[in-house]
Amino acid sequence: MSTVVLPRRAALATLPGRRRTGRRTAWTLVALLAALTLLAVVARLLAPDDPIQPVAAPQLPLGSPEHLLGTDAIGRDVLSRTLFGLQTSWFSALAVVAVGLLVGGAVGVAAGVGGGWVDALLMRVTDLFLALPSTLVAIALVAALGPGLRNTLLGMSIVWWPYYARLVRAEVRSVVARPHVEAARLAGVGRVRLVLRHVLPGVVPTAVVTASLDIGNVVLLLAGLSFLGLGQPAPAAELGADTAANTQLLLSAWWVPVVPGVAVLLLSLVANLAGDGIRTLLGTRR
Amino acid sequence: MNAPTASVRDLHVSLERNGIRSDVLRGIDLDVARGEIVGLVGESGSGKSMLALSLLGLLPENARPHVTGQARVLDTDMVNDPEPARRAARRAALGAVFQDPMTSLNPTMRVGRQITEAGQDRDGAVRLLGAMGVPDPELRFRVYPHELSGGLRQRVMAAIAIAGRPALVVADEPTTALDVTVQAQLLALLRELRDDLGCSVLLITHDLGVAAQIADRIAVLYAGRLAEVGPAAEVLGSPAHPYTAGLLRSRLSLTLDRSRRLPTLPLDTLTADERSHGCAYRARCPLTVDRCATDTPGVEESRPAPGHGAACWFGSETVRSATAAVTPTPAAAPRTAPATAEPAVVLDDVVVSYTTGHGRRRRTVEAVRGISLDVAAGEALAIVGESGSGKSTVLRVVAGLVPVTAGRVSVAAGGAQMVFQDAGSSLTPWLTVGETLRERLAPLRLGRAETTRRVEEALEGTGLPAAVARLRPADLSGGQRQRVALARATVVRPAVLLCDEPTSALDASLAATTLNLIRQMREELAMTVLFVTHDLAVARLMGDRIAVVERGRVVEVGDAEAVIGAPREPYTQALVASVPEIEVVR
Repeated sequence: MSTVVLPRRAALATLPGRRRTGRRTAWTLVALLAALTLLAVVARLLAPDDPIQPVAAPQLPLGSPEHLLGTDAIGRDVLSRTLFGLQTSWFSALAVVAVGLLVGGAVGVAAGVGGGWVDALLMRVTDLFLALPSTLVAIALVAALGPGLRNTLLGMSIVWWPYYARLVRAEVRSVVARPHVEAARLAGVGRVRLVLRHVLPGVVPTAVVTASLDIGNVVLLLAGLSFLGLGQPAPAAELGADTAANTQLLLSAWWVPVVPGVAVLLLSLVANLAGDGIRTLLGTRR
Repeated sequence: MNAPTASVRDLHVSLERNGIRSDVLRGIDLDVARGEIVGLVGESGSGKSMLALSLLGLLPENARPHVTGQARVLDTDMVNDPEPARRAARRAALGAVFQDPMTSLNPTMRVGRQITEAGQDRDGAVRLLGAMGVPDPELRFRVYPHELSGGLRQRVMAAIAIAGRPALVVADEPTTALDVTVQAQLLALLRELRDDLGCSVLLITHDLGVAAQIADRIAVLYAGRLAEVGPAAEVLGSPAHPYTAGLLRSRLSLTLDRSRRLPTLPLDTLTADERSHGCAYRARCPLTVDRCATDTPGVEESRPAPGHGAACWFGSETVRSATAAVTPTPAAAPRTAPATAEPAVVLDDVVVSYTTGHGRRRRTVEAVRGISLDVAAGEALAIVGESGSGKSTVLRVVAGLVPVTAGRVSVAAGGAQMVFQDAGSSLTPWLTVGETLRERLAPLRLGRAETTRRVEEALEGTGLPAAVARLRPADLSGGQRQRVALARATVVRPAVLLCDEPTSALDASLAATTLNLIRQMREELAMTVLFVTHDLAVARLMGDRIAVVERGRVVEVGDAEAVIGAPREPYTQALVASVPEIEVVR
């Protein structure tokens, strides 16, 4: 064969330049997510005081020497409560989204790839779950199972997965319709391998990005449930509950509700940014 | 002579893509006189579309264009004047026809309103549609774009473009998405526009044949600079730039010698950096001397005739003799008729119909209505037809991707593999080339070393370096992707190779290289080839026999030369007549 398209050197030269763009920023954002997770892991060790017991005079202002973020209405350290709450909220949100992604993803892939009656059956079941008012179902479930964090997460996971099932099914169907899947089929690739290697990697970016954007929503729903007394039982620190329960202090001691509120904001912000980062990192492979 | 309608002076444009800034236009000087049709010819990436957008004042803002120089249309500088002035000029003096009429028409507006919006009253708009050759204009005035065929949509685009009586119509690849017969009509229409309205036309195309049909002058663009400019007859008849000469020579026509390999241009090996100084064509040029790497010739450098200039240090005589000296090597000796009488592919009265919609809107569309074809082992059959004729469906039936509604299909042992029209989308984007090729070898259960060897062999067989195995499709050029697709199809030799317009998305020179490659692999692997194309010149070259398909039926089938030389069916005659040909000096 005489024609040589391009020398070896040039072939490789096209590779790095094109793919490096934006990747550094993307890695930074993902690192931020990792840092937040790490912070949540070690939150207990960082907290200066017990989050449950009053440790000082009530409503100490920001910047008090012993209590950097002040104290709340009954003299508990706001920093400690926020750190503990951060841990609860972050891991709860991760768990709910992860369960939703796994269960919903599996259902969605099965429906999207299976088509026909499999698709119809799975999607009608999904529709059934979507038709129920999700917050009410979650509340009813928790009320029936008894309050407590584990039951709250269970209740939320049950109402959360149908969205992912829908999303993943739609994505799977659009990837399956792309010519490269047909080409792979023609090349003799088996069914399982076709799904795992030629379809799924095209679905993962959208699903992961949506999930990361969803973490903020889950944190907020958790806060709502805690406010109704369906999350962690009362004295335990929880960002949503702390924000909601202390809103009446907004005028007298604004930092008490605002600090946990800002923590919720930070959680969803970091989750969203990391979602963008993940999209960039996976995007080059699409 | 009057002042030119459009005048581009020393125009430099650089754009940013994926964070990398690159020069797309590097000093263009070009005039379009009143009532003149200028054909702007160049391969993809030469910057021809950016020149069009500069003249329209529509350079993509998100690519953060840096512009120096001028692009004047009448009295407005479309790259430097403030936006309100440019908008006024667009409204009063400019019209545009783009490649894809579906995406450039507003799908939510009736056709009529889109024309009246461009500055015509109702009656004028209906008359205009009629003048554009749209049958039944009163009715068509009230329809939505999706209710029209591609050809009609392009006519509507043309009507919108001239509704405001522009001084200049910019047509960017207006015929690329159209069938050959419609293509010819649209070109005729553009010329009539010029004759009747006296407007100037800048016709942008990658096909010299299209430019040759209607352009008064031709400008050849290469890597953001003008390589050659002059009267159409001069440029085509006595090209003075090696690139133009090479393009003309690698053009497919109905008179090429089929027994030889197609002449092709050498591939470009310059990096963007090397291209920024000296002559950008030097790596592909047979005449290259040291000076080409340091000094950049202007388009006035070589002046074979008044008004004809080329950016080359050498005179036109030297260029012509040098490019003519590169004689194409003969292809392998024509094969003797295959010994086995057993056909490799048999289609017996095949019918394929689709059902669309539900309930009352349920419709059955017959894509293939009873096609019978026998293809002998080792034979190459070219299937020709326009879009929607069902030619691709036939291939997909043979590939087993589409079930037949009625009839029988059989393929010889060894099966069929396919090379798709758009190689880019037929390769899984997140898998490396090596992974894609290894997948085909997986069922053979070869050892790891043997698999790697076979992958490298397949890449080498298609002229790709082994390092490509580690790259993903996005890292490759269009031509390279098509080679990878070909490597995938042939890494395990199939009995039948199916090609679905594999070159229609490639530039002329790359297309010729790919066609050479497919022909060579057919010889080496003794494959049967089914080659679908809309281009008769390609069909004649690739097929021992040609089958002409119209509306799901084979209307004519026979020896390639016989079908082209003496077409029996009116449909085939129309196809043959509409192939753009240029008289080329050989």
